[in-house]
Amino acid sequence: MIDERRVPIDRDVDIVTARQLGRELAAEAGFTGSDLTLIATAISEVARNIVVYAERGEIRLGRTDRNGREGIEVVAADEGPGIPDIQQAMQDGFSTGRSLGLGLPGARRLMDEFEIVSEVGKGTVVTMRKWRP
Amino acid sequence: MSVPILKQGDVLIASIQSALTDRDLLQLKDELAEKVGRLRSRGVVIDVTALDVMDSFATRTIRSIAAATRLRGAETVVVGIQPEVAIALVELGLTLDGIATALDLEEGLDVLVEVMEARRRDR
Amino acid sequence: MADQATDAEAPFGPAGLFGPADLERRLRSGGVGPEDRAGIGEIKDEVLKHLDEHVAAFFEHLASFPEAQALLRRPDLMEEARRLERDHLVAMASGTYDRDYVEQRFRLGRLYNRAQLDVALFMGAFHAQMSSIGRRIMQRYAKDAVGGFARFSAFKKIAFVDLGIVVDAMMTEREGTIRRQQQAILELSTPALQVRERLLILPIIGLLDTFRAKQLTDGLLKAIRAHRAKVVVMDLTGVSTVDSKVANHLIQTVAAARLMGATVIVTGLSSDVAQSLVTLGVDLSRLNTIGDLQGGIEEAERILGPASPRIERRPAVG
Repeated sequence: MIDERRVPIDRDVDIVTARQLGRELAAEAGFTGSDLTLIATAISEVARNIVVYAERGEIRLGRTDRNGREGIEVVAADEGPGIPDIQQAMQDGFSTGRSLGLGLPGARRLMDEFEIVSEVGKGTVVTMRKWRP
Repeated sequence: MSVPILKQGDVLIASIQSALTDRDLLQLKDELAEKVGRLRSRGVVIDVTALDVMDSFATRTIRSIAAATRLRGAETVVVGIQPEVAIALVELGLTLDGIATALDLEEGLDVLVEVMEARRRDR
Repeated sequence: MADQATDAEAPFGPAGLFGPADLERRLRSGGVGPEDRAGIGEIKDEVLKHLDEHVAAFFEHLASFPEAQALLRRPDLMEEARRLERDHLVAMASGTYDRDYVEQRFRLGRLYNRAQLDVALFMGAFHAQMSSIGRRIMQRYAKDAVGGFARFSAFKKIAFVDLGIVVDAMMTEREGTIRRQQQAILELSTPALQVRERLLILPIIGLLDTFRAKQLTDGLLKAIRAHRAKVVVMDLTGVSTVDSKVANHLIQTVAAARLMGATVIVTGLSSDVAQSLVTLGVDLSRLNTIGDLQGGIEEAERILGPASPRIERRPAVG
């Protein structure tokens, strides 16, 4: 990650800070129009996940590149209880109506790449990337 | 930051001025539910023009405002959803089904009149 | 050299696009020093003496290429090209390289683009012209081959800088043309037309790929806001096939327009497209579809009511 910036997350106002910083960073990285909103919204979802389920953690934001493509990377990390059933957590409430309401499936749809690593009792790390068109 | 709620006739207008925290949103929900009951309002307009992000929590809260006020006899119209926000909501699968929407406050008041008339006829 | 084609009206090569500093940089990177300018001064008369021969060498080289016929067979273009090529050599031999010099190069590049002469062909002809000049200089300096070579080398340094400018001019002009064409295609293919207050028609014509579909969504939503549209008639008469991605996009566009407070009526859905939408799992009952555009506009008029109804229609609130 290039120019990494960190936003500590431990209450709801931090969610707003994180997504506003994310929007700024995405604009600096060359994203425009609705992409800025999609990125900010995805950050909002993963940041809330920290506040609601882990109480505290952090969001790391930065530019990234791979094979000549430029983009933005967002890492949401916490040391909370972890997610016992990731498959269930990633289940899409949109079609099934059985979402756990974690906001993670939504975040995945808004970004190009989405990875989640979680260990019960240790915490959760979500890594998301979006590439510039 | 709390949201000012204006009373205009039997309509309440909540005009959001800036980004809201989850707490602000929940407070808006409580205040609107309380005011609709106390003032016997028939309609609620939520102006979200100033919101550059509406995530699943914000959308869920607006849904529950609409449900709570409907129980107290008022219809809710959401106005001013920005084009980029509309795209993000659709991508998230949050299409606010069953809640009226309008372009801006003026249009929202018109839509509210139509919706309230339709409800009166249905009764 | 960023963004040269922003203003289609401006002539190429004004200071903003190609400034004195840029020219200076090119001359420096071409290794053109004072001694080169002096050397060019010494062969100037020799170059000018056989000017017509050198110009002819350029066009003779082109004559054998079928791709160059578009230029060679157009007397008007050829006359201008000959004149510009003459001026070109005179300017090159003059030893003064300034703004006029650059603009003249840009005119040449633009002319060759208009004649669809490609860069490789131009470079070949340019090389033939340099050979013609080199031959004459070496003849003149037959007894001082080293001196002749030094002077011709000086001339070639300028020639390389020159070549760079003309090729850049051709490329920039071409990129500008392509960009303008792309823009025109986009605008032509996705115009949201306002028929009356609060009503937009969006005729969708031709193949929709994901990129165009995204453009279309963005454009429509912005137009809804700009025109305060309440109803949009999306006419798909010109669309013969849709794939799942595009179908999904159309549905999302309709949903996003609704979130903004506008109703979308879909017209001109061919049975093939309707069938493939159903096959792709689209619930057509969620779409407000009407057979043809005329019917769609009538339905829109019905939703909108008579013009300017706001004051009469609104009952007293409260």
